[in-house]
Amino acid sequence: MEILTSLGLGFSVAVQPLHLALLLFGCFAGTLIGAMPGLGPVNGVAILIPLTFAFGFDATASLILLSAVYFGCMYGGRISSILLNIPGDEPAVMTTLDGYPMAQKGQAANALAISGVASFVGATVAIVGLTLFAPLLARAAIYFGPADYFALYVMAFATIGGLAGVDPRKTLLSALIGLMIATIGLDPATGIPRYTGGSFDLYDGIDPIVALVGLFAISELMFLLEKTIKDRDTAIKLDTWIPDLKVVFGTGWATVRGSVVGFVAGVLPGAGASLGAVMSYSIEKQVSNKNGSFGKGDPKGVAAPEAGNNSASAGALIPMLSLGVPGSGTTAVMLAMLISLNVQPGPLLFERQPDLVWGLVASLYMANVMLLVLNLPLIGLFTRLMAVPTWALMPLVVAISFIGVYSISNSTFDLYIMIAFGVLGYVLRKLDITLVPLVLGLLLGADMENNLRRALSISGGDYGVLIASWISIALYIATAAFLALSVWLALRDKKRAADAS
Amino acid sequence: MGVSSFISAKLAAVTTVTMLSLSAAPHMAHADECIAPSNPGGGWDFTCRTIGRILSELDLVDGNVQITNMPGGVGAVTYAMVDAERSDDEGLIVATSTVGVTQIAQGRYPSGIDTMRYLGMLGADVGVIAVAADSEYETLAELNEAMVADASSVVTAGSSGAGGWDHIRLLMVAREAGLEDLTALRWVQFDGGTDAVTQMMGGQLDVVSTDLGEIAGFVESGDIRILAALSTDPIPAFPEIPTAISQGIDVTGYNWRGLYTGGNVSDEAYNAWVEKLETLYNSDEWQTAAVEFGLVPIWIGGAEFEAYVREQEQVMAGISRDIGIIE
Amino acid sequence: MSIRLAGVAIFLVAALYAWTAQDYTASFGDVLGPSVFPVMVGIPAMALALSLVVFPGGSVSWPSGPRLLRQAMALAALIAYALLLEPLGFPLATAAVIAAVAMVLDGPAIKSVLIGIAGSLSLWVLFDQLLGLPIDFLGTLFGG
Repeated sequence: MEILTSLGLGFSVAVQPLHLALLLFGCFAGTLIGAMPGLGPVNGVAILIPLTFAFGFDATASLILLSAVYFGCMYGGRISSILLNIPGDEPAVMTTLDGYPMAQKGQAANALAISGVASFVGATVAIVGLTLFAPLLARAAIYFGPADYFALYVMAFATIGGLAGVDPRKTLLSALIGLMIATIGLDPATGIPRYTGGSFDLYDGIDPIVALVGLFAISELMFLLEKTIKDRDTAIKLDTWIPDLKVVFGTGWATVRGSVVGFVAGVLPGAGASLGAVMSYSIEKQVSNKNGSFGKGDPKGVAAPEAGNNSASAGALIPMLSLGVPGSGTTAVMLAMLISLNVQPGPLLFERQPDLVWGLVASLYMANVMLLVLNLPLIGLFTRLMAVPTWALMPLVVAISFIGVYSISNSTFDLYIMIAFGVLGYVLRKLDITLVPLVLGLLLGADMENNLRRALSISGGDYGVLIASWISIALYIATAAFLALSVWLALRDKKRAADAS
Repeated sequence: MGVSSFISAKLAAVTTVTMLSLSAAPHMAHADECIAPSNPGGGWDFTCRTIGRILSELDLVDGNVQITNMPGGVGAVTYAMVDAERSDDEGLIVATSTVGVTQIAQGRYPSGIDTMRYLGMLGADVGVIAVAADSEYETLAELNEAMVADASSVVTAGSSGAGGWDHIRLLMVAREAGLEDLTALRWVQFDGGTDAVTQMMGGQLDVVSTDLGEIAGFVESGDIRILAALSTDPIPAFPEIPTAISQGIDVTGYNWRGLYTGGNVSDEAYNAWVEKLETLYNSDEWQTAAVEFGLVPIWIGGAEFEAYVREQEQVMAGISRDIGIIE
Repeated sequence: MSIRLAGVAIFLVAALYAWTAQDYTASFGDVLGPSVFPVMVGIPAMALALSLVVFPGGSVSWPSGPRLLRQAMALAALIAYALLLEPLGFPLATAAVIAAVAMVLDGPAIKSVLIGIAGSLSLWVLFDQLLGLPIDFLGTLFGG
């Protein structure tokens, strides 16, 4: 009952005309920014912060605008993943795995519709979770210590073993290369520069979004150049511009599972949307990859990670609001902005500024509905992009990627890094080494190392600390069970194939 | 519904965009610029954005102040760029803080403290020593006793790495209390003060040393207890927190926020900036904004600040040498 | 053969990586220190790369000469862009790179140039004017 009263208060805040207008603008701008390779939610939020200052918005209005942008970006990131095989931002990487093959089969409209609906469901599940359990979950999350985080990352890397590609050695190697790249830069614990070659430009490490855009966008350009113009433009046909509802809703359970997994990943500070997407995809693949259709355009392979990453992004607001601990780069930027608006996120926020918190929650419900309504009619428009000839579309995509990266860092150094990653990505893809584990290693590597080192610093060098808590033991057991299941499924498929022949 | 909301979204976008382009236009003229040597969010970004906004609100500059983010090497990239390309640019100011001076003292910037001209500090975050509400340590004296008796029995943490400012000011307290082997104290690095505090609430850590601003919410909620504030006088917002000095430990640990400009800027332009910043400091706008951000407004400017920065660099270099971070 | 060569290359990089890590010592810091994790990553990477040398899996078909040339031309255009962005200024450099990449992709010459001009101007408006991310219109060559 109390929650309903609070929510009522929230909606009365959210429906104020200024807030509604900001919500709409935020959703629209977010979708646009998210759709551009090189610009993700972090940039989207950062771009709009000066705007909130310039207009003198109060904390509630600012937070509503930025959250709408945040959500919009999560919607927008998938568009280029599906249509061009180039993720718009980090969490959309997983969506390329089945989204792009679907588009190649002529089902771009279905893939976009599935991702839109899955995003909606994922975010809604997480917002309901936020409404009901935020303070409680935040209290639980503080018992997740460094050793437990390390166990969580081990689990994430174990589950990607079953991701994609034929040769598990290559998948693992890809992840290790990502981890290697993640150690470039200043070591946070000691301040020592590692693998920088003395260049100050590398002190902050490789920005994942720069690497991501290079790996996917530029390598995609290289692949297109392998083909002659005739092969290229007849490669993708489009069956329909209107999504098939039966296919869209056939992914229902995948969406639900993805939402729950993503939410859990989101609530843990530091795990974030990318981990949510990866875990959702891996688990869904184990559960429902009956005939090896994953990676070849299975609708469930689009629904699960899309539900997962949106659910995780909304879930990440819980530690940010109730503990003041950002769960991702984007929430870190939002946090900084809140503090500068004299809002101190933390244990007392819900009591002290209920109108802000509940206004935000109500806005999120509305933003989510708006995004779905805004996005479904746009599917027809987006799929028409496929009809633009490659020679006209690709140069623009590449230019946007370059400008996106340059406009954020103001240095051409990042452009060279991006080109280098493009060549690396092309060579690795030619060698049949999938890039997704590499991106994951790059995204999670620093946290994995830091938490290992934190755990050992706390224990004074005793490795027993790694399995000292029930949380980490449970995570290691789950990892082992997951690996055992993968092996069992692989053996069973092999036996069936043998029986059949 | 779909179509109409789409159209109103576009309308909203267009209006906002028009207003935005009006506000963005002045940077085409050669406006003053403030570089935040970090990504958006965080202390240096706040310094530039807030000071830039108030400078133009008070008409101390023509038009807007352009804010540029130039992350890299904890400020080293910007330091190198200003030194090489814009050391005589009179329209340029750069945000810095105690963190920047620590980096210089440990030789992590491409050039020394004398390469730039330091304008002034406008406020400071106060360092505190915190424990969980259910901690066995009730006073700073009890904590010091435990650290001196067996330094390795206490797990300490903060938002900087080993040798960073959060760590160094804790070591200054420990040394004052009589701990000789400073390297025996266990230190765990976290990405932010709140990260460390929540881990402490979860029972992983014993003590957190960090800025008060970020973790004030946990003090008010009663989740953590502050054993000592590293300030000369009690903090206005929390008068009941005892200072370290009042407990016989003569240590202060401010994280000040301030600005520098290029080393070849003329005295005239330097003095003009100092004067503008002092006017800004005395304005209600800054006093309010600083307090809202969790800072204690403090002004030290001009020659006095140059001397202050140099002295702080010496102190930092001394303790860094003592604990073996630099040769 | 390509797989074997790649295996050797990755092995060498990983070995260099793990070897370099030993230099990262902090006389003061956390228990594990900055060198252990890179070694933990580098050694399995070496082992896996070696296994690819011994038991290569899969085969690679590299593009033919003319196609490789096109790829090289596209890369050259991108590198030139990074080099010339600041001297030439945004609209000029961007128009050139868009047109160049379009032509490498077999776009008709005139249309490619037109797309380059239109694309670069609208991107400048989008980023500089709408998104408020300042990008210099004129390069350093023109006193911008």
